[in-house]
Amino acid sequence: MEVLLFGMLAEKAGTSRLEVEAGTLADLRRSMAERIPGLHHIDHVIAVDRVIVHDDRTLTGREEIALLPPFAGG
Amino acid sequence: MSEPRTHKVKDIFVEGAIAPSFIAESIAKHSTRTDIGAHGIFLGQVRADTVVGADDRPPATTVAAIAFTAYREMALERMTAIREQAFAQWPSMTCLHVHHSLGTIKAGELCFMVFASAPHRAAAREAVAWVVDRIKAELPIFGREVLSDSTHLWKTNS
Repeated sequence: MEVLLFGMLAEKAGTSRLEVEAGTLADLRRSMAERIPGLHHIDHVIAVDRVIVHDDRTLTGREEIALLPPFAGG
Repeated sequence: MSEPRTHKVKDIFVEGAIAPSFIAESIAKHSTRTDIGAHGIFLGQVRADTVVGADDRPPATTVAAIAFTAYREMALERMTAIREQAFAQWPSMTCLHVHHSLGTIKAGELCFMVFASAPHRAAAREAVAWVVDRIKAELPIFGREVLSDSTHLWKTNS
């Protein structure tokens, strides 16, 4: 599945889209940590289908997943 | 200026800074709505913050501009929900207009406008304050601060 990256996370990863294989959000978090250097030091949340989720859950692969660094609007 | 209270997703994003003339025109457009008695307007301006505590920067390093990007689809979904909640909370509100810049906005330029109108002042000013705070906390908008020494930092809302 494709993961959308924004802001400083896109900068760290050197891309705004990463392709990962993950059956659960926990898998996805592990996989992201391997792909993006220093991810655990960067404040971020995961959005599934444009809603922030904090729990673990099964992924079908059809969700829209995004990794979001701190917001800075306004 | 009538604004249908529907679930339609409105685009709040504009490329580049918000021109003061655009704000003046927005105000002027409301003159036909004579049931309005108060406008509440919040304008966000890019501040030339002095960057302190950064390792090897010269002491006078300041923010020269902010380059804004957004997760547009999620931001617009969140904005639609915030708008609906605002109208539920202040049912007398006549209309609510929100604009946020994308792209590079220089210090001193405007990047954010929230404009609420109502028959009386309390609803207009309370709604604006509430909507501004919700947008800053909930919309996935990201700001790359371009510094005067040509390096950059990432802005974080407190």
